[in-house]
Amino acid sequence: MGRRATAYCLILPSFLLAAFIVLWPLKEIINLALHDVNRFGLLRAFSGLANFRTLFADPDFLAALWRTLVWTAGVVGGTLAVSVPVALMLNGDFYGRGAARVIVMLPWAVSLTMTAIVWRWALSGESGMLNSGLRGLGLIDGNIQWLAEASTAFPMQILIGIEASIPFTTTILLGGLSSVPDELYDAAAIEGAGAWDQFRFITLPLLRPFINIAVVLNTIYVFNSFPIIWATTQGGPANSTDILVTYLYKAGFRLGKLGEAAAVSLIMFGVLLVFTLIYVRLAMREEAA
Amino acid sequence: MKQSGVKALLLACAGLLALSGTADAGTVRVTIAEYSKGTGPYFNEAAQAFEAANPGTKIQIEVVPWDNLQQKLTTDISAGANADLSIIGTRWLLDYVSQGIITPLDAHVTPDFKGRFIDTFLKPSVMDGKVYGLPIAASARALYYNKDVFAKAGLSGPPGTWAEFTAGAEKIKASVPGVFAFGLQGKEIETDVYFYYALWSQGGEIVQGGKSGLGSAAAVAAAKLYRSYINGGLTQPGVTSYSREDVQNLFKQGKVATVITAPFLSSQIKNEAPNLQYGVAAIPAGPGGARGTYGVTDSIVLFENSKVKEEAWKFLDFLFTTDQRTKFDKIEGFLPVNVKEASDPYFADNADLKVFTSLLPGARFAPVIAGWEEVATVTSNALQTVYLGRAEIEPTLRDAAAKADEILAKK
Amino acid sequence: MSKLTRSVLYWLLLSPLVVLVLFPFAVMFITAVKPQAEVLDPAWWPSAARWANFAEMWRATGFGGALLNSLYVSGMATVITTAVSIPAAYALSRYRFAGRGAFRQFLLVSQMLSPIVLVVGLFRLVAAMGLIDSLHAVTMVYAAFNTAFSVWMLQSYFATIPKDLEEAAWIERASPFQTLTRVFLPLAVPAMVVTAIFTFINTWNEFVVALTMLRQQSAYTLPIQIFSLVAGRYTVEWHYVMAAAFVATIPVAILFAWLQRYLVRGLALGAVK
Repeated sequence: MGRRATAYCLILPSFLLAAFIVLWPLKEIINLALHDVNRFGLLRAFSGLANFRTLFADPDFLAALWRTLVWTAGVVGGTLAVSVPVALMLNGDFYGRGAARVIVMLPWAVSLTMTAIVWRWALSGESGMLNSGLRGLGLIDGNIQWLAEASTAFPMQILIGIEASIPFTTTILLGGLSSVPDELYDAAAIEGAGAWDQFRFITLPLLRPFINIAVVLNTIYVFNSFPIIWATTQGGPANSTDILVTYLYKAGFRLGKLGEAAAVSLIMFGVLLVFTLIYVRLAMREEAA
Repeated sequence: MKQSGVKALLLACAGLLALSGTADAGTVRVTIAEYSKGTGPYFNEAAQAFEAANPGTKIQIEVVPWDNLQQKLTTDISAGANADLSIIGTRWLLDYVSQGIITPLDAHVTPDFKGRFIDTFLKPSVMDGKVYGLPIAASARALYYNKDVFAKAGLSGPPGTWAEFTAGAEKIKASVPGVFAFGLQGKEIETDVYFYYALWSQGGEIVQGGKSGLGSAAAVAAAKLYRSYINGGLTQPGVTSYSREDVQNLFKQGKVATVITAPFLSSQIKNEAPNLQYGVAAIPAGPGGARGTYGVTDSIVLFENSKVKEEAWKFLDFLFTTDQRTKFDKIEGFLPVNVKEASDPYFADNADLKVFTSLLPGARFAPVIAGWEEVATVTSNALQTVYLGRAEIEPTLRDAAAKADEILAKK
Repeated sequence: MSKLTRSVLYWLLLSPLVVLVLFPFAVMFITAVKPQAEVLDPAWWPSAARWANFAEMWRATGFGGALLNSLYVSGMATVITTAVSIPAAYALSRYRFAGRGAFRQFLLVSQMLSPIVLVVGLFRLVAAMGLIDSLHAVTMVYAAFNTAFSVWMLQSYFATIPKDLEEAAWIERASPFQTLTRVFLPLAVPAMVVTAIFTFINTWNEFVVALTMLRQQSAYTLPIQIFSLVAGRYTVEWHYVMAAAFVATIPVAILFAWLQRYLVRGLALGAVK
């Protein structure tokens, strides 16, 4: 058996599995998006791009599109800004490191849906434990109605998103850091490199592929993430915290516009595709340089 | 953990799995919306009782959380994998009927069977003279008020009109610190309904002559009334973050003095806040004396593609016997839909329920229009904008009315 | 900097994050032990801790059955995913072949459809195959969902394992299979463990697929079992919900405590030294 044939045999099972859950649904979605569809997914007349035109004429959709970009950038950026230093610290040697690692990973132990529900419960204005806690600490006088307006709800949602993404990101980075051999640092220390130089010239370059993975995967997951916003505000009040997934969910399942919902999902798919292609290309050029 | 331990556990699980087989021909699958923790157990018990009386038929109960019911039904139906019977909101019924997804029950509904029902509750499930569903759950809305708070504020009884309500609310604000006079819902399911109470009392309608009533003078007056309560500090702060459940919770805690909601709050209070002194009264009337309550039913429907329609009907027949209905409505705190059931002392002698049943003649149901959910969404969004004070009331409502008219014209 | 100074400094720096992370757990735990009459009261200290809530929740929610279902589904899916992913990741990191780049891209692209969207199409497929209401179908879907990610992660880690040892084995005339099982895989254990944990956690917390595909309460996994306590009921028994959510985290937390030692620097390359 040739090397090439071996390679194909090795990847075949995983290819089949991954293709199985993507290609068929994708075909279905494209079909739905290009047709006039009844609320139970029955295709009526072919309608070309009509579903897309309806969407782009809807100011709520455009606002949701823009908000999705802010949401994704906020959560992914925030997560990375926190996770890199945290991973570096957790990779270092200090008392209670094991405990610290478990704590940082804990949000992962709760499903996103439950995390969101717990936060909603905690953020409630009159009977939420966040307000009563902050009052007890003397940080606020009156109750803050966190979820009543987008100006307080949306930043909170981003914060919850960051909290929920940190474990995954930190773990990937720690995995990457674990492959940096100690000898490199020893050698650098002998040559008189300071901590900052060690970070810049040894850690960062070795960590970069893992940062790239974290950015790409987080972007995909956060962009498509539904539970946090749904459980806390359902995209309200008055659509002011809607992102594309919540918009899609309401259009598809509440209003029964499956065609438009399918079109939204294709647009989302397109946005992600363009982003990753650009990012992967840039990242690879950097890695090569 | 030891490897062998994991393996043993997995094997044990695999054994469990083998027990769950697929449905065969004599099986009736029933999708049940979960109203409370009692819903699943009740239906499973009913299924067992039915199976014992009808050997050869198996009933498979599939409980779905309410919030996911629409999603589940859409996915199921689109894949042709729906159950035989399902609970749906009666307000969605037209969409199902017009797509030919559910089957009329007239072949089985004898006048005698029809006679079991209180007509008000059966009517919403009847379209073009055909019975498309049976009312599995029914409720109406009334004003709950906290007697202790009212007494502290020197109020002798519940307000009859919104003018009295306003005056009373001011008194509560002045004399009972820490209690908000009016619990106003501003989020999630039925945000629009909470507004219709005021709309109806101003003589307005949700839909009139195929047009949205949201831009009418009555609607503007109703919105102004609620907005004045918000601005005057008569409601809880941040109304747009309170769902129906949240507002009910404030009432149970004694943090709001009034709330408009369904009979099931009574049974919740009995369990969760037994010391709360409360009364139930009609929703206040408007200046012209108009008032209205919201009547709402959920229907259980039979799908057109069911292969076990006969068996399914038998189960329906069983569910709507007086005994079964009485049991179910007691568990859930719903209104009786069955005439004989209503004479059961539990319902007939219950002071709270009496108020609700007395309001039924004036109850309005969700209008029978296609795309009702979309109109409701447009309305809720406009109301949230108004409640937040983001925009002028009149243009906001007029815009929403225009959008609603477009939806109404489409179908 | 002494280890003690560093410890104090690190814990200080980490403290905001620790507070943010522990806050929801505190909310869960405190609500879970409140007596029913105090559940709606936002106080941090209930008048008494009511431990019986946990036992009552266990019975009321059918927690045990859901726990077993979850363990089964997540365990099996993790095994299948890992078994399928290791060869693929090995091929990606050690072989050059036409379509290698395309395959990597495909794996990434396959992650891009929102699960909520995917599930509608996927459900039709599963329904057409007559596999609804089967934990096995859910297991297979989970395995499929996680394969792309798993291959992607594994090949990144595999790429950091130096080829020298395998080449040495080749020279010593070891067969490719021997090289793989005796030389390469032992070095890759930490990477495989970490990736398996990723898969396990993803499946443990998965919600949409389980909700759509499972029908009978006896087949429910933990996330939907807990969610059904909250979603749209006319009243929610928050102390039970929080108790259930809290208990559901314990197996995973134990897993973390065990996993974290695989993340120590140098362990991955321990054999190379």
